[in-house]
Amino acid sequence: MAEKQYSMEKLIILFLVLISHFDAYSALAGETPKRIISLAPSITETLFALGLGDNIVGVTNFCDFPEEAKKKPKIGGMSNPSLDAVVSLKPDIVVVTTDGNPREFEERLRSMKIRTFVFGSRRLKELPGGIRDLGVAMGVRERADKLAKEMETTLNSFNNSLRVTRDASLRKKVLFIIWPEPLIVAGPGTLIDDVIRLLDNENIASRAKATYPKYSIEEIIHQAPDVIIIGKGHADMKEASSSLLERLKSVPAVKNKNVCYVSDSLYRLGPRVAQGIEEFAGCLR
Amino acid sequence: MSKIRITVLIIIALLIILCSLFLGPRVINPFGLSEVEKEIVFSIRLPRVVVAVLMGMALGAAGAVLQGVLRNPLADPYILGISSGASLTAALGLLSGFYSFGRFTLPLTAFIGASLVSLLVGAFGWKRGGLWPERLLLAGVGLSFLFHAILMLLMSVSTNEGLRRALLWIFGDLSMADWSLIPYGLVFIAAGLFIALLRAKALNALILGDEFTHSLGFSANRERLLLFVSMALMTAASVSLGGTIGFIGLLMPHIMRFVAGADSRALIPASALGGGAFLCLADLIGKSIFTPMEVPSGIVTAIIGSPYFLYLLRRRDVLSI
Amino acid sequence: MSSAYSAPVLELERVGFTYSPDKKIVDNLTFSAGNGEFIGLLGANGSGKSTILKLASGILKPSEGSITLWGKPLQSYRNKDRAKLLSYFPQLLDINVPFRVRDLVSMGLYPYDIPPRITADEAMEAVGLKEKAESYITNLSGGERRRAFIAMTLLQGAGLLLLDEPLANLDIKYQIELLRLLKELKDNKNISIIMALHDINIALRFEKVMLIKGGRILGIGKPVTVLSKEMLEEAFDVSIEIRRSETGGTYIGNEKNF
Repeated sequence: MAEKQYSMEKLIILFLVLISHFDAYSALAGETPKRIISLAPSITETLFALGLGDNIVGVTNFCDFPEEAKKKPKIGGMSNPSLDAVVSLKPDIVVVTTDGNPREFEERLRSMKIRTFVFGSRRLKELPGGIRDLGVAMGVRERADKLAKEMETTLNSFNNSLRVTRDASLRKKVLFIIWPEPLIVAGPGTLIDDVIRLLDNENIASRAKATYPKYSIEEIIHQAPDVIIIGKGHADMKEASSSLLERLKSVPAVKNKNVCYVSDSLYRLGPRVAQGIEEFAGCLR
Repeated sequence: MSKIRITVLIIIALLIILCSLFLGPRVINPFGLSEVEKEIVFSIRLPRVVVAVLMGMALGAAGAVLQGVLRNPLADPYILGISSGASLTAALGLLSGFYSFGRFTLPLTAFIGASLVSLLVGAFGWKRGGLWPERLLLAGVGLSFLFHAILMLLMSVSTNEGLRRALLWIFGDLSMADWSLIPYGLVFIAAGLFIALLRAKALNALILGDEFTHSLGFSANRERLLLFVSMALMTAASVSLGGTIGFIGLLMPHIMRFVAGADSRALIPASALGGGAFLCLADLIGKSIFTPMEVPSGIVTAIIGSPYFLYLLRRRDVLSI
Repeated sequence: MSSAYSAPVLELERVGFTYSPDKKIVDNLTFSAGNGEFIGLLGANGSGKSTILKLASGILKPSEGSITLWGKPLQSYRNKDRAKLLSYFPQLLDINVPFRVRDLVSMGLYPYDIPPRITADEAMEAVGLKEKAESYITNLSGGERRRAFIAMTLLQGAGLLLLDEPLANLDIKYQIELLRLLKELKDNKNISIIMALHDINIALRFEKVMLIKGGRILGIGKPVTVLSKEMLEEAFDVSIEIRRSETGGTYIGNEKNF
């Protein structure tokens, strides 16, 4: 039985190879893989945005956007995906990220002759390029190009409008809270830090030495942020952060009611980044 | 001789507490407080110092009590699984989205967990009308491993990022300390400490063994139960105030036997005082060393505590094991 | 003197003790200790000596029979009141906490709200440990440790001492010193002592001995009558030889040398 299946597969591969030889266009663009596994929520979102949702056969336990992603078979966590689950889904390609997946896992897949694509973008300005590369590998170059262009337009619009019109005194001190108790904030090297910079404001936690530092409350009082942005979490964030904000009541952001609750769109370097930037811009206006 | 040592201990403890108020990520001049600095000292640092002192006192005293009750100088309040039980119930509460008591939810679930585990360990340790030290120890170690395993299981299958972050709290975090929890912690810790001091003579007798305890006019079973309750109250209150802080319960009684003597009537208050000052110091270091980031105090106590403990092991007059 | 003997300090009446019904550790035991009596409890290993002392001290509760202390049931005393009348000294002194000798000895005062006349210093003096008062108990030799615990028992000042092998692991010098000390207590303070021991030759010097086998009394009375060749052979299950020296002393040994 297994023998038969194996030869069936061989036949299919032969068939595909033949087709790709005959069809010059598709050979140039790269074949669109039929069975894709995504090892990160940001990649899952990007693949869906590129119209590849139907080709995805496996996602991580954390992939919850868009809604359809939740129905896909799960292959485990980001840091601990199950090799067994990945292999048994017979992927044509596995998309891994340098930001969260273990490197050894990718090497292991390659040693088993499973094709991989490494998504290397980690910062905001690398994202359009990353999407283009992904698009080429997935055989959807045009769609990727379109998505990347949209993104570049958004980024540039903020860049240009702000750089020209604002002077330094309008710059606001911003703190992004990921979790209130214990207090975890967005530090340097994060997408959130990039966006705060893009909008020409200052992230007060950018001096910290970790990307997601456990932050000192008295330092916040000293640094007196003008705006506090609180990201979406698994609890009701208004309720969860109420006692923290009570203690920060003397800080300008809290005093002037400049506390803003946003979605989780900036937690993932994917297609919703533009939407996240708009949200931030709204908070900082 | 030991009177001088105890006086020095009290002075050091007070100095550390004062330092914790005015040192930190930024040094504050106590004689020229600005508005912001006033707020930092009185509503951020002071409650934090009080929580650190309370937790440290509870752990130090609980360690002194437990080492006597179990007749084992290597016992630590956490060896009985009380902290891992508290961590587990706290994690389960977070996972199920239980948030009915607002900011008290986490401390409350931890306290319930710690109390339940104490009862469970007590039930396992109970035989023929009394608690048996060996049974307590084995039950505690066994349950501790079980709770750890379940906790690890939850961590590895859970996609709830909030849980992972809140587990930081379980690893000893005083950053959320404020006045609201202090009265509750104070009540339980004071009750535990009161029982412990009241039964300090009986604890001395228990250290000599059950037969001497009986001969000296105590009921070994009754005294052991009372002291166990006292230890459980202090440990549970401490865990729910600020999570799991290791090493104080093990280390303080050892240091204090050298400073104040092995007599429980001196050892319990000295361990409490030393524990309070030590945790205060550890927290000061934890919040100052990588400013503006904070290192959980439990990590600092372990890093300072273990080398000192190894040094103590070399002093044969303090330890005879 | 005879009036003192008339009031028994401790009475055991048909006392039995068992963990499981099929094996009795102590069986139908009846004896009493009078005021100022010094009784040696002799028997092979596992004969029930320790159990008898634990029953008499109230650590173990008898399965049957009754035990009275000064005419009242032992169990009816409050712990503290009993501790003023009766002291038990276990066979094993296992301690790993560095108490100072003075602290340890002072624990003898725990049953009292108002300290009795003897002080910790006097108790340490009595056992020759005065100069070690500030030492850690864990740094003392085995013999010194035992004497420190004896000092604690002296300070406790009970009229009845139940001692489980207090001579074990002591050098001959300290054995003699301790026995002398106990005899002084008995003579001067009219203290009653029941002491388990296993050296037959020391038992010979007691006024009264009790020979135990299988939780029963084999014989009780003066050593000359109780410690006969037949009785000892029965109690210890080994052949025994009794020699009398020219000075009138007696020596009991095994007839075979090894």
